[in-house]
Amino acid sequence: MSLQEVAPSQAREVRLSALKRIARRLAVTNSIAMGVLWLITLLVAALFIYIIISLIVQGASTLISPTFYGTSDAGIAPELFNTFYILILTELILVPLSLAAAIYLVEYSPQGRFITVIHFAAETLSGVPSLVLGMFGFLVFAVYLHLGISRLAGALTLLCLNFPLALRLFESSLESVPGDLREGALALGATKWRAIRTVVLPTALPGIITGVILTAGKIIGEAAALIFTMGLFNPGNVFTLNPLIPSDTLTTHLYYIKGPGAGTLSLTSSQETALAAGLSAVLIILLLIINLSARAIGRAIQRRVTAA
Amino acid sequence: MQLTQPAQQANRQSRRARLVDRVISVVFLICAILLVAIILAVIFFIASQSFQVFFQGATLKGFFFGTFWDPTGDITGGAPSYGAGGLILGTVITTVFAMIIVVPFAIGTAVFFTEAAPQWLVRIMQPLIEIFTGIPSVVIGFLGLITIIPLIQKLSAPLTGNLPTGGYGWATAILVLVIMVLPTTMSISIDALRAVPGSVREASLALGSTRWQLMYRAVIPACATGLGTAVVLGFTRAIGEALAVALVLGGSQIPNWPWTLAVFFQPNVNITGQITSNFQETAGTAQYAYWTLAFVLLVITLIFVSISRFLSSRSVYK
Repeated sequence: MSLQEVAPSQAREVRLSALKRIARRLAVTNSIAMGVLWLITLLVAALFIYIIISLIVQGASTLISPTFYGTSDAGIAPELFNTFYILILTELILVPLSLAAAIYLVEYSPQGRFITVIHFAAETLSGVPSLVLGMFGFLVFAVYLHLGISRLAGALTLLCLNFPLALRLFESSLESVPGDLREGALALGATKWRAIRTVVLPTALPGIITGVILTAGKIIGEAAALIFTMGLFNPGNVFTLNPLIPSDTLTTHLYYIKGPGAGTLSLTSSQETALAAGLSAVLIILLLIINLSARAIGRAIQRRVTAA
Repeated sequence: MQLTQPAQQANRQSRRARLVDRVISVVFLICAILLVAIILAVIFFIASQSFQVFFQGATLKGFFFGTFWDPTGDITGGAPSYGAGGLILGTVITTVFAMIIVVPFAIGTAVFFTEAAPQWLVRIMQPLIEIFTGIPSVVIGFLGLITIIPLIQKLSAPLTGNLPTGGYGWATAILVLVIMVLPTTMSISIDALRAVPGSVREASLALGSTRWQLMYRAVIPACATGLGTAVVLGFTRAIGEALAVALVLGGSQIPNWPWTLAVFFQPNVNITGQITSNFQETAGTAQYAYWTLAFVLLVITLIFVSISRFLSSRSVYK
């Protein structure tokens, strides 16, 4: 074997082993990184699952006691009523306004600066902390508009809080309606409004319902915007439709029990904790229901789209 | 030209339809403008209330750097004191530390979630993230009170000398903020990562990259601005978080010497906690001091929203 034949094969082996080293290093780095990412993700998932389960388990013993659903200090009947009252009142104002704004932006407005301005305003408003919006609502609705600390003031504050979210959800549901449908209606001689009313809105309806459900979740969970505008106390008779009385909700009541109102109700400390645990569990369960129904509707839309 | 009877009627009808269309579009326009009116009103009214305190005894320097917060004068029984420096420090420290914990977890999970996670994990995580994005902050505050505070109290006992109030304070507030902000940051990061087109991934894989190189060298740089937006919006959320933090802070003044480790484990303050617990009991000048705090929060969030807007205007994939 001559020298000339050995040298190239040795050089090749050197190159080959260098490449193998690089490949091995890459593989090791890759497995370490993937292991870390697996660990992080599983940790986060475990944390989330632990929180939900522990909240429901802690509230379970309260959830099955009948006094929890009564009107005594240990019961949440008034708060449940108020929460759903304020939910419906807010949605009644929020849905028409934000849907109208969304229709204008998607169907009427020319693309350009105006839409940018509205979107910038929406983004800014959605960034304002809900506590600050609560103070704004207190000043403007309760004091300047003389509504007092009342359900109506609370609903108007929640309107300000949820307007950007509702607008975004409604806009995307309108945008997902195919343009052919609009063009077909307009080609038949319909005015724009008639095309929207008879063609676009019915097609976008599932998306609109999902939007309503998602804002409902945010309204039920909101507290910081309500403590200054709707108060932390109930008047004698809560079960009325009067929008001008102060009320508490599930969330603000939970804050009151564990915060400023600890020890003021006719409850022992352990009863207070049990009540708070029950309230947390009820809120979590409501949110789970809302999330599941929004997902179910989303799936129904997808089925319809893929079937068509 | 003379029109026939039905033609005239049709003409009238279509004119009416056009009129209705016009009116409705104006009404809808007003609804869209209402949104702009709301945000302008928020800024105007809060700003107009926030300068009053400086005409009534507070100085700018004293407000931002003073550390004794007693706008009613109840604690000393004498003149009110408007030193919000401690509150601002509290907000800055809790927010920054919370985000230091949140960012690696949120982005790590989001990258893994979009690039490498098996289907079953995605199916579990997706609804969890959605639920946690909307979880009421009081519920997390309650969880902090009954689960995190006892734990922190036990862990920090050697540092704080077993205070009965140990466990309340910045450390617990940071953990509560992590739970509140993690899902938001994560879900915005996931959206940003999903906006990266598949061709970027295919190109990277075709060059023989490993999964990790694909994430680290191709996907993350491609949506860096989107991830930046997620972090900025996480900051916005953390700064404004109120009730959960108010429940676990439990203090009324910043401790005298805040530069030790033990300060994280004793009752303490931040901006939102003070507003939540005291705003409504005050009136007059004392209340103006809280409006100034709200204005500080508002300005900070406006700055952060502008940053996020700037970042998303720079991003390639939306």
